[in-house]
Amino acid sequence: MKSFVSTHPVVLFLYYISVVFMTMFMMHPAILILSLLGALLFFFMLGPTKQFLRDTGFYLFVFILIAVTNPLFVHRGETILFFLNDNPVTKEAFVYGVVIAAMLVAIIFWSKSYTLLMTSDKFVFLFGKAIPKLSLIISMALRFIPLFKTQMKKVNNTQKTLGIYTSKSFFDRILSGVRVFNSLLTWSLENSISQADSMKSRGYGLKGRTNFSLFKWSSRDCRLLIVIASIFIIVMYLNIKGVYTFNYYPVVSNFEFSIKHSFELSIVLMLMILPTLVEIKENLQWRYYKSKI
Amino acid sequence: MALLQIKDLTFTYPEAEKPVLDAINLNIKQGEFVVLFGESGSGKTTLLKLLKRELTPHGEKNGTITYDGIQVSELTDRVSASEIGYVMQNPETQIVTDKVWHELSFGLENLGIKTPVIRRRVGEIANFFGIHTLFRKNTTDLSGGQKQLLNLAAIMVMRPKVLILDEPTSQLDPIAATNFINTLKMLNEELGLTIILVEHRLEEVLPLADRVILLEKGKLLLESEPRLIGDKLIRLDKEHKMFLALPTSIQVYHALGFSGKSPLTIREGRKFLADHYEATSSDLIEDTHINKEVAIELKEVWYRYERDLPDVLANVNLKVYKGEILSILGGNGSGKTTLLNVMSGVAKAYRGKTFVNNKQIKKYKTRELYRHNLAVLPQDPQTIFIKSTLREDYAEIMKVLGFNESDIERETLKIANELSITHLLDSHPYDLSGGEQQKAALGKILLLNPKILLLDEPTKGIDAFSKKVLAEILKKLQREGLTLILVTHDIEFSALISDRVGLFFDSEMISLDTPIKFFSENNFYTTAASRMSRHLFDYTVTKNQIIKACEYQDE
Repeated sequence: MKSFVSTHPVVLFLYYISVVFMTMFMMHPAILILSLLGALLFFFMLGPTKQFLRDTGFYLFVFILIAVTNPLFVHRGETILFFLNDNPVTKEAFVYGVVIAAMLVAIIFWSKSYTLLMTSDKFVFLFGKAIPKLSLIISMALRFIPLFKTQMKKVNNTQKTLGIYTSKSFFDRILSGVRVFNSLLTWSLENSISQADSMKSRGYGLKGRTNFSLFKWSSRDCRLLIVIASIFIIVMYLNIKGVYTFNYYPVVSNFEFSIKHSFELSIVLMLMILPTLVEIKENLQWRYYKSKI
Repeated sequence: MALLQIKDLTFTYPEAEKPVLDAINLNIKQGEFVVLFGESGSGKTTLLKLLKRELTPHGEKNGTITYDGIQVSELTDRVSASEIGYVMQNPETQIVTDKVWHELSFGLENLGIKTPVIRRRVGEIANFFGIHTLFRKNTTDLSGGQKQLLNLAAIMVMRPKVLILDEPTSQLDPIAATNFINTLKMLNEELGLTIILVEHRLEEVLPLADRVILLEKGKLLLESEPRLIGDKLIRLDKEHKMFLALPTSIQVYHALGFSGKSPLTIREGRKFLADHYEATSSDLIEDTHINKEVAIELKEVWYRYERDLPDVLANVNLKVYKGEILSILGGNGSGKTTLLNVMSGVAKAYRGKTFVNNKQIKKYKTRELYRHNLAVLPQDPQTIFIKSTLREDYAEIMKVLGFNESDIERETLKIANELSITHLLDSHPYDLSGGEQQKAALGKILLLNPKILLLDEPTKGIDAFSKKVLAEILKKLQREGLTLILVTHDIEFSALISDRVGLFFDSEMISLDTPIKFFSENNFYTTAASRMSRHLFDYTVTKNQIIKACEYQDE
């Protein structure tokens, strides 16, 4: 089902960069709404429905909070709706609040799917090329952290059964923490020595180290990259020409309803729902195969 | 010509008085399987490390080591790194990266091999070792046995010509250890790989070896084909310590006064017994004067780690009597250690009751529970030590217990004497060998003066002689009135020392009996001695019982 996840890390990373860039720097309300829509749809496709509903519920609350807070504190804008404690509440500030809220929630949902898709090995792959040592260091750190945690738990349990510094008093807790830390320090040093031995004995430090990865470039990645890149370039070109300019203060610009403009926005829509489309396509394909079987 | 040639090798560590290796001469041929054994401190590890240049310790070296006719110190970096493979003891600390595939490719990356070639070689090796299903997993998610197999595979992927292994199975459970050793056998037989192996567990390794070498105090004491090692050792010294390390069949063979080529495997041992002795049936005579006072009782205990996870303990009922030694056996991940944690109060059951001395465990204050009452020797003795010498470590715990300076000195010496670790008191706990660490940790626990002692895998990673010493210490503690509960994989050890043995399986205790009954009724899950003699005798589960039964016939 999750097929966008199998995309090459480079494509994945460029996609997220372009989406987040557009969401953060283009303030056109339609673009933000589309981005929010795309982020929500894709997150819905990825995870269990229960999780989706729970998260959406929570961020709906965040959305309302931001949307309401802005007009309460910002009093710019010309169209005054009413006065609250002698302060004007304006239509412009309210609209701006809603737009900002949409932007924030959209970014949050994009990053939620990002963390699901961009696992550590992909990240390491991407940046390992630029800084070869970094990928190994990250990989070693990711190995070390869980090891350290287990050891901490073991030492904690042992020290507990020794029955010293186990009362709940503040002083005892600090002391027991220091003791466990001490033990972990020695253990880490010991551990790193034998790890260094293991690395050396397998030829670490020889000249001309290569970086191996499991990711392979496929023609599908090529197609996706072309789509993403061309949409991004077109949108940026249109943006420079001012097509997506939209003002909130002092007056909210008029939304332009025209075939030309809706075409210009549908290009953005394409990009925002691209991962969802990929997933849907794959789902349909499977259903088709199944019915054939 | 020999692949590895060691000539007059003497090695002294800096500031040491005596050399750790003394005039070693050894030739190892292409394709040979050599097993090295010896007491801890006999210089085995040093010898292995000298063969692998990257790991050579500092010190004064005389004599030569040549690989394929070239001095090891003059090999090119690439040849030295890839052609001589080295597997260490602890599966955990050798793993460098977070993913299995990355670990497999690590060595090849270092050699600067291109991605498509690495892809092929990694795939090939993963299939050969049967770890292809683990390929994309995190290394932390593997079991101990899988980790050690991964370490071996990560070295084999570099296509070494010699494989050096330093007690690779000492941290593994018996099933994983057998699996690992079978893999070595396959590498040796199917690829002609030269293997040099240091091992404690000779039972399974000896039948595979072409040659066995015994090191003692830095000298090469014996060199023999496996079948004659017992004979040669007994000629040298009738009471030699290392005799205990040999397989059961060899020990029984020589103890019964036979000499020459001995049986090696269980099968040969069975045949040897059948050829010389007759089947006899006997009645089981056991003294069953078990004290009926209860030390620890579990009543319908249930435990799980998290709400959504399955039960680890389900409806466990268990009574441990005062003054007995109870062993709990069971496979990896069966929940034995969790059971121990519930008994020690580290883990809390979500249903059911745990009593210690007829008082519910949750009603104890921590001080009451862990001082002069209940103590735990953890699986990893290193987690016990905090200070930089053993003496300081002991002093610290006694200060907390309220001893004054002179008492501390006296008590430290007393306990150190009992465990014969006086000479180790000023060393760093991490510098001790496995067996020494175990004893030192036990010493610290005994300072708490416990009445009930829980031990988690006390024989893990220690050699046959240390095991015997440990067994004697535990028996002595029992005579002093302690109740001991062991959780272990070590079937032989549990048969030797326990009053009762239980099997933990499918989250409950399924059988609990005296060792003789327990092991003689089991057919697969039983001691080597029992498997070797069950066709002749009814109740022989240790080698001494076989020897007794045979000697009885001789008279």
